[in-house]
Amino acid sequence: MLGFLLELVRPVFEWVDSFPSSLAWRESLNGYVYLLTAHVVSMGLVAGIIGYWDMRLAGMALRWLPVSKVKSGLFPYLYVGVVVNAGTGLMMVYSQPMRYYPNFWFWFKMAMLVILAVNAAYFHLRIEKTVEQWENDPVAPAKARMAGYLSLAFWVGVIVTGRLTAYSGLVPQWWLDLGLG
Amino acid sequence: MLQSFFQWMQGLSLSAYFLESVWPTPIIQCIHLVAVAVFAGAVLVVDLRLLGSGLKSASIPRLAGAVQPWLIGSFTVLVLTGIPQMTSTALKQYYSPFFWWKMEALFIGVIVTFVIRRIITSKEEGHFGPVWPKVVGITSIALWTSVTIGARLIGLLS
Repeated sequence: MLGFLLELVRPVFEWVDSFPSSLAWRESLNGYVYLLTAHVVSMGLVAGIIGYWDMRLAGMALRWLPVSKVKSGLFPYLYVGVVVNAGTGLMMVYSQPMRYYPNFWFWFKMAMLVILAVNAAYFHLRIEKTVEQWENDPVAPAKARMAGYLSLAFWVGVIVTGRLTAYSGLVPQWWLDLGLG
Repeated sequence: MLQSFFQWMQGLSLSAYFLESVWPTPIIQCIHLVAVAVFAGAVLVVDLRLLGSGLKSASIPRLAGAVQPWLIGSFTVLVLTGIPQMTSTALKQYYSPFFWWKMEALFIGVIVTFVIRRIITSKEEGHFGPVWPKVVGITSIALWTSVTIGARLIGLLS
């Protein structure tokens, strides 16, 4: 099933791989260096700031600060970090699509980013609607705490799998058996 | 003399273990990177506050005190996980200009963050005037960004 789904998206990666601008980035002497360096620096900004938001929700830090104050104070910087981080990440894939396509850790990371997006959307659309009732409480309601813990755990997962993307050979045998390339 | 020290580090059994084993190096690198994120957050929330932004409703001493355990804890993990990474590739590091760039920025960063900023954040806003907290905040951000860039370039360009 997974192999079938990945084979479905292979033409997209091969198509992007054929773009002259993708080739230009791929053959650029320092293009990848700039992208990866900016990706790591902006990761510190994104994960560092979102960590404090999540820890406030989970009741692990800054329990004395109203939740809305933490959000309004930190999120403008988070948005800047997300734009740079996602932009450089997309460009890294754009420049070497056929390097990332068969990479187990890349897809693992993407799956966790999807879970993080769903978690954030659920928090924003459901749990945050009642924030005015509990934003001054040192300990947030169970659902908000759970959203914070989930986000923390999956962000650690994103960082770990992002680092392991460089180790494309250290993967389970069943992944190699898919024969993605 | 410094070169012999790096040669000695390269020859340690710890270095050989990390070079010859498959998983220890990536595991240590992953822990190091997670600690980078925790450290970056602990540095940033206080530096942004010193710049008059971020968590403006929190008093500077209280905010700095609240993040201090995360700052110290993540820095300790960074050092502990950085040592085996450095010893196992000691000679590569020695000949890399980016390693020395990182070490210089790290040395100044430690002084700025753990000594000078500690003094600045021990007093309420206004005690040191409007300029010095901002100078310390922007210097701290610049130094730790520089450490991160230097560290990444060791692996990419050395």
